[in-house]
Amino acid sequence: MDLLHELLTGAPARIDAIVDLESLSALESELLGKKSLIASTRRGLGQLPPDERPKVGAQVHEAQRRLEDLLAARRELLERMAEDRLLAGDRVDVTLEGYEPSVGRHHLLTQTVDEVVDIFAGLGYRVASGPEVELAWYNFDALNTPPTHPARLESDTLYVEYGEEPDEMLLRTHTSPMQARYMEQHEPPVYVVVPGRTFRADALDATHSPVFYQIEGLAVDEHITFGDLKGTLAHFAREFFGPDRTIRLLPNFFPFTEPSAEMHVSCFACDGSGCRVCSGSGWIELMGCGMVDPNVLEAVGYDPQHISGFAFGMGAERIAMVRHGINHIRHFYENDVRVLRQFT
Amino acid sequence: MKISLRWLKEYVDIPTDDPLEIESVFASLGHEVEGYEVLQAPFTKVIVGKVLEIEKHPHADRLRFCRVDLGKGDPQEVVCGAWNFEVGDVVPVSVPGAVLAGGLEVGVRSIRGVTSHGMICSARELGLGDDHEGIMVLDPAVPIGVEFTEYVPFPDVVFDVSITPNRPDAMSVIGLAREFAAYYGTEVRLPDAAPATVDRPSAIEVTIEDTKGCPRYVGRQIDNVKIGPSPFWMQLRLRASDVRPINNVVDITNYVLLELGQPLHAFDLDEVADEKIVVRRAHAGESIRTLDGVERDLDVLDLMICDGGGVVAFAGIMGGEESEVTDSTTRVMIEAAHFHAPSVMFSSKRHGLRTEASARFERGVDPNLPALAAARAARLMVDLAGGEALADVKDNYPSVVTPWQVDLEAGEVERILGIPFSRAVIADLLTRLHLDVEGDSPIKVTVPTNRPDLTRPIDLIEEVARLYGYDRFPETLPSGPAGGLSADQRRDRRLREIMVGIGLHEAQTMSFLGQSELDGLNLPLDDPRRAAIRVRNPLREEEAYLRTTLLPNLLKAAQYNVSHGMPDVALFEVGRVFLTEPDPGDARIPHQPVRLGYVAVGRTGQGGLHSSPRQTDVYTATGLARALLAGLGIVCDLRQATPGGFHPGRAAEVFVGGERVGAVGELHPAVGRAFGLEGRVAAGELDLAQLISGRWQLDPPSTYPRVEFDLAFVVDESTAASALVQAVAGAAGDWLEDVEVFDEFRGSSIGDGRKSVAMRLVFRAPDHTLTNEELAPHREQIIAAVTDATGGQLRGV
Ligand SMILES: [Zn+2]
Repeated sequence: MDLLHELLTGAPARIDAIVDLESLSALESELLGKKSLIASTRRGLGQLPPDERPKVGAQVHEAQRRLEDLLAARRELLERMAEDRLLAGDRVDVTLEGYEPSVGRHHLLTQTVDEVVDIFAGLGYRVASGPEVELAWYNFDALNTPPTHPARLESDTLYVEYGEEPDEMLLRTHTSPMQARYMEQHEPPVYVVVPGRTFRADALDATHSPVFYQIEGLAVDEHITFGDLKGTLAHFAREFFGPDRTIRLLPNFFPFTEPSAEMHVSCFACDGSGCRVCSGSGWIELMGCGMVDPNVLEAVGYDPQHISGFAFGMGAERIAMVRHGINHIRHFYENDVRVLRQFT
Repeated sequence: MKISLRWLKEYVDIPTDDPLEIESVFASLGHEVEGYEVLQAPFTKVIVGKVLEIEKHPHADRLRFCRVDLGKGDPQEVVCGAWNFEVGDVVPVSVPGAVLAGGLEVGVRSIRGVTSHGMICSARELGLGDDHEGIMVLDPAVPIGVEFTEYVPFPDVVFDVSITPNRPDAMSVIGLAREFAAYYGTEVRLPDAAPATVDRPSAIEVTIEDTKGCPRYVGRQIDNVKIGPSPFWMQLRLRASDVRPINNVVDITNYVLLELGQPLHAFDLDEVADEKIVVRRAHAGESIRTLDGVERDLDVLDLMICDGGGVVAFAGIMGGEESEVTDSTTRVMIEAAHFHAPSVMFSSKRHGLRTEASARFERGVDPNLPALAAARAARLMVDLAGGEALADVKDNYPSVVTPWQVDLEAGEVERILGIPFSRAVIADLLTRLHLDVEGDSPIKVTVPTNRPDLTRPIDLIEEVARLYGYDRFPETLPSGPAGGLSADQRRDRRLREIMVGIGLHEAQTMSFLGQSELDGLNLPLDDPRRAAIRVRNPLREEEAYLRTTLLPNLLKAAQYNVSHGMPDVALFEVGRVFLTEPDPGDARIPHQPVRLGYVAVGRTGQGGLHSSPRQTDVYTATGLARALLAGLGIVCDLRQATPGGFHPGRAAEVFVGGERVGAVGELHPAVGRAFGLEGRVAAGELDLAQLISGRWQLDPPSTYPRVEFDLAFVVDESTAASALVQAVAGAAGDWLEDVEVFDEFRGSSIGDGRKSVAMRLVFRAPDHTLTNEELAPHREQIIAAVTDATGGQLRGV
């Protein structure tokens, strides 16, 4: 047993001295193989007196277990070191480009429209779209715009050759005709946003385009008030431009709303102190809005004595230009990939 | 309209001079200020002096030598070239160190041997007018020795205010003064409109033949006027409002127009034949030479002012040359009339003549204003042109317009505005606007005739809100019902997400096409896409039609990118096209379906060190369609076809549920050439309305292993791979999990006009592990079915 003891005492130092897996295997067979002290001692157990056998047997077993643990620990260490050496040599320049699937981008106008629509969808609005070639009746008459109104002139409105009457069919100049169409088809309450293309007889310049997007909103119900209009637009401004925004409404005139207002939002760039974005005023003009004129409600068969509502309309290009510092509307319609891929 | 702050403050007290503060008051009243300009006196160091002595200049006949009392010290010695003043006159004198309009610096100078300490100034030298014939002779009451800047209207601020079309009453200085008075709760001071009169009958005779076009005509006679320049303060105000001064009489009419909002016209009464005025529509063949020197042929709908001889002025727009006021005019007739807005609008548009007068009549002027405005002009002509106003005023006003009453319930105000308003508050706010308020329920509101925009309760509610202040209303939210996006809208969003996810950029192109874009598509003559709806008044011929397909403008966008150095472009657009057939939902308008279009040129997929992008071709187009529809959960079927505009052998029609939803493939090379694109152009266009995705029940995945085998068939070249796949699917039974074409092979071993198509078939059972023995009969059935359907022969694999 002294030999076993000696073996156990010397083994850790011998195992720790091994630095490669091959030598470790050799040492393992020396310590635990058929010719090892452990093996020979176990073979000699039968020659021992019966009362000594269990004790010596246990000592052999214990010695074997300890040696196995020491060897396993060393093996694991050596294996890990070997892998580390291998990995250290397997080095690439990870700053090189990867196997990239190509990914496109949503057009900034669509992103803008979707974001606005989602804000109102969150308030319980439905989303409607409408025809772009529209009857003059919906575009003008139903919206309290008299036949002599200058907006009807060919210098403002694009007419199309379709239908019987000469001035019957046009490219809608705003999304507001959907107000009338939607109310014709739905009983109040009506809460709807209408994003879509609109058209004017404007040549392309920095802020005008013959095609542009409007987002119209309409809430018609019992008890809809001017305060509701204000609160709704304030909610929109904070969702779209950030939680610290405030709004102001300034009196204005539109044929289809009364009272009418122009909505301004406090400048997100300077927080209202005046900067280039807001032309120094601290406010950014965003949209026209107002309480739906009783004539409009009457035109679609609602009773203005019991039903009231508000409407608003904003230009998607305008709010995107304001928010993203875009100085020319052509960037929306040129579809230059270098522009498209900037917005996600 | 441009308006001087000093002028405005003549009629109303405004407790500030800060332009920004005044701008915000304008804004809160609903009158947007588009800009303002601060005007400073255009000169410095000009002192009011009195001429003490005038001597001849010793060396120059045209100059005079003057001594001028400047209130302190020795009299100033000045050489002067003007002769329009005398000893005792009060004049502006610039002293050495002064800077005059245009930057002229005044010093001590020797003029033909005589030293001049400064100069006596003309209006032009002081920047106060055009007059440079003589120096400015001032009112003798101006004290000697004071800075002349105290007697000129500087500094001033000129606001450019945009007046909304519903507020004709605000298109004047007094109108805006009323707005400020309402805002501050004060009163306006009306200008003096009471001329000293002469009791002599006027010979003017007025006949209105068309009382609809001209409900009122006031003719007022002023005798013995002396035509000359108007005073500099009036010229300054006119100039500030962008009106060019002409002479005192004309300037007075323009001044009163700006001041009160009533357009006036001054006739030289001696040039008005028979001193007779007739208001009527033009006769055929008549013409007039207007004050701008243009000879204009008249329409029988043009409303004209005529005299005993014929037409003399365009009613409400512009006078004629014949009867204009000239330097020799002595007798003037002031015309102050009311003209019907549509009539003025018609003539103004027809003749392309827009004037300060027509702009006001088009919006509507108070019919009760003409007499007052004529009196005001008369007063100014008496004061400033030495005229004699005749008390005998010809006022032809057959149907007098009187104030009207609008009933308003206080409860209605709250219902619309959201907060309660007491009767007292409503009354206070409306009274500030000079509306008469009586009664409680309803509140009976009498509206003066200068507010044609106030005819309904809602109009009064707006005025209550406006004067109360939009800023003071609370922000509340209505309790709307549940809403959100519809299934179609959610589908469209997913569609765009997928298109972006598989590598295309979204584009937005114009809705218009030109004939050349339509021609460039290489469409058959009877293709419905050629029948585009025409815009009646297009901006450009390139935008003369509404698009019947999204492809041309996408091709143009692709070409734009290629020509800007980006050869690999993949774009898609979701948008409406316009067809001639009636809309299924509203037969009155054309059908405007929403389409998805896409175009890819160059290479697709990321390039660079580690990726190998593919050259676009037909499979780019079909692959995109398959990926999109699979992503939307739509089972589609691509059928070999030759849709218009596409390559005859490299295009397919897409079917969903048996319905054709569009076409995809390579465009015909002629199309690429027409749009300036080289190489193969992949494209597709699908109708969104027909992309209806089904809903599936869960098919639980099997836990047993899959078994697969390959089959290859030699078929005729014309046989579509999809035909083989369909035959396999039809015969394989429920255990078939997938079938995929993995190879297509042509070669001499197969024979001319034939090809080998190899498919991998994957089987799996839901409840046990499949064996080859089990599948053997299925394999035989499949082979038989494919052979049957395609005439193909099994090829040894
Ligand atoms: Zn700012």
